[in-house]
Amino acid sequence: MEAMIRIQDVTKTFAGRDGQVEALKGISLTIHKGEIYGIIGMSGAGKSTLVRCLNFLEKPTAGTVFIEDRDLSLLGEKELRKERLDIAMIFQHFNLLMQRNVLDNICFPMEIAGVKKADAKKRAMELLEIVGLTEKAKSYPAQLSGGQKQRVAIARALANNPKILLCDEATSALDPTTTKAILKLLQEINRKYGITIVIITHEMSVVQEICTHVAIIDAGMLAEQGTVEEVFSNPRTSAAKKLVFMGEQRSQKMEGKRCIRIVFDGKSSFEPVIANMILECRAPVNILLADTKDIGGIAHGQMILQLPQDDAAADRIIHYLQERKLTVKELDSYVG
Amino acid sequence: MWDNATVMMLAEGTAVTLYMTLVSTLFAYVLGLPMGIALVITAKDGLRPNKIVYKILDAVVNIVRSIPFLILLILVIPLTRAIVGQSYGATATIVPLTLAAAPFIARMVESSLLEVDRGVIEAAQSMGAGLWTIIWKVMLGEARTSLIVGGTIALGTILGYSAMAGAVGGGGLGDIAIRYGYHRYQTDIMLVTVVLLVLLVQILQYIGTKLSKRLDRRLK
Repeated sequence: MEAMIRIQDVTKTFAGRDGQVEALKGISLTIHKGEIYGIIGMSGAGKSTLVRCLNFLEKPTAGTVFIEDRDLSLLGEKELRKERLDIAMIFQHFNLLMQRNVLDNICFPMEIAGVKKADAKKRAMELLEIVGLTEKAKSYPAQLSGGQKQRVAIARALANNPKILLCDEATSALDPTTTKAILKLLQEINRKYGITIVIITHEMSVVQEICTHVAIIDAGMLAEQGTVEEVFSNPRTSAAKKLVFMGEQRSQKMEGKRCIRIVFDGKSSFEPVIANMILECRAPVNILLADTKDIGGIAHGQMILQLPQDDAAADRIIHYLQERKLTVKELDSYVG
Repeated sequence: MWDNATVMMLAEGTAVTLYMTLVSTLFAYVLGLPMGIALVITAKDGLRPNKIVYKILDAVVNIVRSIPFLILLILVIPLTRAIVGQSYGATATIVPLTLAAAPFIARMVESSLLEVDRGVIEAAQSMGAGLWTIIWKVMLGEARTSLIVGGTIALGTILGYSAMAGAVGGGGLGDIAIRYGYHRYQTDIMLVTVVLLVLLVQILQYIGTKLSKRLDRRLK
């Protein structure tokens, strides 16, 4: 597949109050055309800095970024501004012009690109139809809800037919229902117009909802990357585990007892595996965590079971599950 | 006291005061607006950080602002003479008024522009907007109500300064108040000029507030 964005050894150092702060420590990533790429990390991991390096709003201290084989670090100020017409961005706090109405907000990037006023207005109305806000054309941002503001921001981002759409925590200020609607809109845009989307978030649920690929950023470094399925069903690093098993932090620590983690890979999740297992092995289990989700049309999930004290029964259960081709892992201690 | 001559004099005084105030404010903005913009742009976290330019502007603004107006008035007499040809009269007063108000306006513009959401500026940058587009369309556009409020404050201040200029023969209501009220002990005339000055400030303030509210799209 064609590479759309190639991040090469990007390092970013800020001069902080007490010395230098290394926000990014040599990150390399390739994002292909048409992907919805999630970049996830805890707050302060450096993901917002990383996304700003993709359009050079932040210039990397070392390393560079290629957009379709154009090295951004080699572009002059003017060329860089032109390149940005192809790399749209939406933000957590929408960042609309408060003194302009919705239509004029959407026209703004076209003013920058030098589109004729009449043409810009026409295009803006088309875009409003795409995001479903035609009747709000003459409203001002202050009169809109958060979800509506983000729709306007998306319409504005699409104005110059970009190849890439960067989303910086675009749903973090929205409630769950609105978040879903916005993510659905982004997915539609990705499918219909083939725009490559990069989503920065701290929420695993956002990645699960629409991303095809994911990279996990931890303390300025790339912890893990791959398809969402790969990373989700087999997180290797502690940062990935932390994000994937957010639920674990809610439960109690269960040291000294045998616990296992089962991962459903999409084949067996519709079969009542646990119920059958209990019937067959005639031993009770305690379900400590159950989290199954629909990711990109495939059922995925995990469960954590506490096994009976009796070792023979416990082994029977593990054997049974392994026979069912499920990934079973015994956990030494529950957290971690 | 309400004889024709006095009324005419007061009317003329009002007109002269308005003339000095409005023209000085206009010129002061011609100097102060770019200075204010430059202060914001060249500041440490501005769009074009430039320590030297910022420090110089900052110092000039502070120095001029700390000179009492009455002293500045006398200090710049040679300059006034060079520009206007004479050092007294309403037109001559415009020179020191402009010089005194420009740094004050620069500060006001600076604080208005600093109120503009950094996120919106960043959004414009991400769209490929250049420096001038950001200054004109984003910063000045988004800060317009705050700028108008600042302009109203500036008008009031300059009006007050213009009255002070009366002390050195500047003309206008301040001049009348000093000549008649102070030198000739005609308290009534002084009171009338004070009332007129108060009215002028009220009217200007009313127009400014109305205008800024009408132009503000963040409310409603």
